[in-house]
Amino acid sequence: MKAPLSWLKEFVDIGLKTNDLMWKLTEIGLTTESFEKIDNDIVFETEVTPNRPDWLSIIGIAREIAAIENKKIRLPLMPDIPKPKKVLPLSIKTDYQLSPRYSGIIISDVKISASPNFIQERLKKVGLRPINNLVDITNYCMFELGIPIHVFDYDKFLSQNLSMELSRGGESFSSVDEIKYVLPKGAIIIKDTPERVIDLCGIKGGGNTGIGENTKNIFIHVPIYNPILVRKASQSLKLASEASYIYERGANAGGTIDTLKRVVFLMMKYAKGNIASNLIDEKKEKFELKKLTTSLAKIENVLGLKIPETKILSILDSLNLSPKIAQGKLITTIPTYRGDIKADEDIIEEIARIYGYNNFPKTLPVSSVNKRKIPYFFDNTLHLQIKNLLVATGFSESMNLSLISKNLIQSCQLPLNKHLKIVNPVSNEYEYLRNSLIPSLIKSLKINENEERVKVFELAKVYNGNPDRHNEPYKLSALAKGISFRELKGVLDLIFSRFNIKNLKFGQEIPLEGLWHPNKSSEIIYNNKTAGFLGYLNPQVLHNHLIVDDILGFELDLKVLEEISKKTIYKPISQFPAQLEDLTFTFPEKTKIGTVLENIRKIDRLIFNIELTDIYKDAYTFKIWYQHPKKTLNDREVENIRLKIIQLVKNKFGGRVK
Amino acid sequence: MQEEINNIKNQAIAQIMEVKTLSELEEIRISYLGRNGKINNLLKKIKEVSIEKRGSMGSLINEAKTTIDKLLNEKRFGLIKSITEKREWFDTTIPGIIPDIGHLHPQTVVYEEVKSIFNYLGYQIADGPEIETDYYNFEALNIPKDHPARDTMQTFYLDTKGSHVKLGELILRTQTSAMQGRVMGKVSPPLKVLVPGKNFRYEQVDASHGFEFWQVEGFVVDKNIHLTDLFGTIEYVLKKLFGESSKIRFATTNFSFVEPGVDTYLQCTLCKGKGCSFCKKSGWSEIMPAGMIHPFVFKEAGIDPNKWTGFAFAIGFSRIINLKYQISDLRTLTTPDLRILKQF
Repeated sequence: MKAPLSWLKEFVDIGLKTNDLMWKLTEIGLTTESFEKIDNDIVFETEVTPNRPDWLSIIGIAREIAAIENKKIRLPLMPDIPKPKKVLPLSIKTDYQLSPRYSGIIISDVKISASPNFIQERLKKVGLRPINNLVDITNYCMFELGIPIHVFDYDKFLSQNLSMELSRGGESFSSVDEIKYVLPKGAIIIKDTPERVIDLCGIKGGGNTGIGENTKNIFIHVPIYNPILVRKASQSLKLASEASYIYERGANAGGTIDTLKRVVFLMMKYAKGNIASNLIDEKKEKFELKKLTTSLAKIENVLGLKIPETKILSILDSLNLSPKIAQGKLITTIPTYRGDIKADEDIIEEIARIYGYNNFPKTLPVSSVNKRKIPYFFDNTLHLQIKNLLVATGFSESMNLSLISKNLIQSCQLPLNKHLKIVNPVSNEYEYLRNSLIPSLIKSLKINENEERVKVFELAKVYNGNPDRHNEPYKLSALAKGISFRELKGVLDLIFSRFNIKNLKFGQEIPLEGLWHPNKSSEIIYNNKTAGFLGYLNPQVLHNHLIVDDILGFELDLKVLEEISKKTIYKPISQFPAQLEDLTFTFPEKTKIGTVLENIRKIDRLIFNIELTDIYKDAYTFKIWYQHPKKTLNDREVENIRLKIIQLVKNKFGGRVK
Repeated sequence: MQEEINNIKNQAIAQIMEVKTLSELEEIRISYLGRNGKINNLLKKIKEVSIEKRGSMGSLINEAKTTIDKLLNEKRFGLIKSITEKREWFDTTIPGIIPDIGHLHPQTVVYEEVKSIFNYLGYQIADGPEIETDYYNFEALNIPKDHPARDTMQTFYLDTKGSHVKLGELILRTQTSAMQGRVMGKVSPPLKVLVPGKNFRYEQVDASHGFEFWQVEGFVVDKNIHLTDLFGTIEYVLKKLFGESSKIRFATTNFSFVEPGVDTYLQCTLCKGKGCSFCKKSGWSEIMPAGMIHPFVFKEAGIDPNKWTGFAFAIGFSRIINLKYQISDLRTLTTPDLRILKQF
């Protein structure tokens, strides 16, 4: 909302300097961070929160300034409406569900012209284009007082029996600015005949009954509409106006008659004319002022500060809330333009904000410690440990968007139907929730294609399932370019050994079409559960992204990892030295060396450790640690184990010692 | 035997003279004076000598041992002296070879920092779903359907075709506050909860807006929690994050799920409030919306608002990261370019 300083000054004396005023307004809730200079005037740009439709008016902002400066406001002239000299016929059937209050009046014999300069200037400052005196006065009063007003050309009504109803959907409607709409179901409309819509209520008036050059008699209405109905119609038509903005937030039902008085006063002053009907005021209730009783003890407890009663009274008085204190209770009377004040907490906020949030002391809560774990308790220790391990091995952490495109999913040969979809994406680049982190990392490799070696990872949630059953497991994925398979595998081996995970199996059933290379990758299995995948990416996928290098990677399910990880338990170091030796074997083609090592490790408890140290053609050198916890092994004992190893390798794998 | 002793002694003297490095010298020491060294071997052999000669042989061996030991020490001293006095040309300005380590994303660094501040204050972390119901994201927070407050949080809706879920009921959460109802509805106070997580809002992407962003939500529910406690907590946390000299100020604001509502402004850490391009000339930036939990939220979660009070607040992770590292374009954080990642 734009608010010219000169207009505000008409209603309240302002002592604060511009910058101080802006901060004070911000502090009390009307965020004012910038202004514009127009013709020696300052026009503030304010951000109005949805709870304060009264701030969508100059008088509303002036009231707040009056409270800040502890001054009284001057209301604009709004004399009583004179009695009609003649009465032109008009009836309107309203509906309290659609419009809890409807006020209006007819003025005859008006003179249409340009509006006076001050009105034109002010309208321009708040961002409106002046049209003519009749229309401009309604807009002027809306900005001044905060309730929308519409003026019809009385003579253009096809009948004198107007009726307010909900649209059935499909009706055509042309607005005063000559735009055609097909109405949705459930918009509030006024018809003058069963076929003709003359007002899209709360949003725009109809062109068929709008003010023209020859307008002579006018009907002015000041209605209050059901906020939800206006909002729904405005949203389904994607059509908003200053009026709909106010109505959605709740217009001041207690202020229609004052507004009408003000409009009539200005109309008769600048467009002449005579009152030509009785005052119409259809209302659901009397809109009497509500009273609120709040205990002073509660105020003190919520604020954490005892504000003196006199201070509370003066603050609430400056806000026109007519406060009284009796027997520990504060009684306030709430003006109808303050529909946001409904409960004790609202009154407490009124006191606090005018007292000044920055005048409060600062304390830390004196609260009890909750020994129970809360619902959704989350401990990211394992996540952080893994991240640190990866960083130590040269991988950099990236963070990517959860929303990805159909194109990216399909180019990674992932099944589209396993992805949850958004119905209203910002663009089709961000339409699906990812269920693997690899596609985003492939994009990262593309971004870094000029680097010789790239090692990136991401640890994040992925999204699985369907709308009926969905979950968000954490995954860890890493991709690398410029390193060997054994280097990548080593990173995984390191992670597994740090978390004391043993007995993982590497399956080989990978489909031909998919993210992974059909034979240079495998599923990582623990107890028949998938813990992840490892290997080269499918060359077709890489080709789809115009990547020519070999790319290696892995993806781990962190929930499975967390379940199978074990605490580290210290094993006392042996007092006796280990016997070390290298054994070199040759193997037939297609021997799985990992399986060989696993078998060797199991044949004797005295084999403390075994590592692959060298590969030359078909010859593999293993370094073996023989160790007994309670003694030094002698040569004969070592030889016995060695023979068992050679025997096993020969019988089970056809390998021969060199 | 006497000859053997002399030979060994002379051999040792000759070898020690020839030595160029400290490690060679150590090898010689072990081969002569070690447990299985030549001198010890001589001592073992002394049994073979007749009893009357054993005494003189013993003192000969000892004399050889002392001589070798003395020479070794002299040589060692000489070697160390010559190495240090040589003043060999050596360049310590030459660049090192940096180990190939990776880099944590700044988000992780800031996450840990925030976590440790709040752990110190006794908060527990809750991790909740990003695919959320309209109920927890809005209605439980006093934002009914068709409330204008929804305008500021344009929402992504999940495609529910072919399921039993009505369109509009499942959304991507727009705020971590959605966890207030989830946690409060399941357990009774006292509570001190921290909810870090990703949120989604339908926004066109530019330097300061993204449709995905990280927030950390916190809320406290207990007997006698005051507005002053909220002010104090915010000040404590922001000073820990941005330094004890940081300046903050509070303003009133409105969120349907708090009353009184609080907005927090942090003085620009770069220009100290003078106004610079980073803070868009304002000198202050909005950093931490907060407020006292609205009785509606308590009632909805089955908590008696006459018995309990509480506060809630949120900070944008990207705001913290931007201020800490002076990043002006939000998109930097989700661009996995190593030239960016390696700076952290």
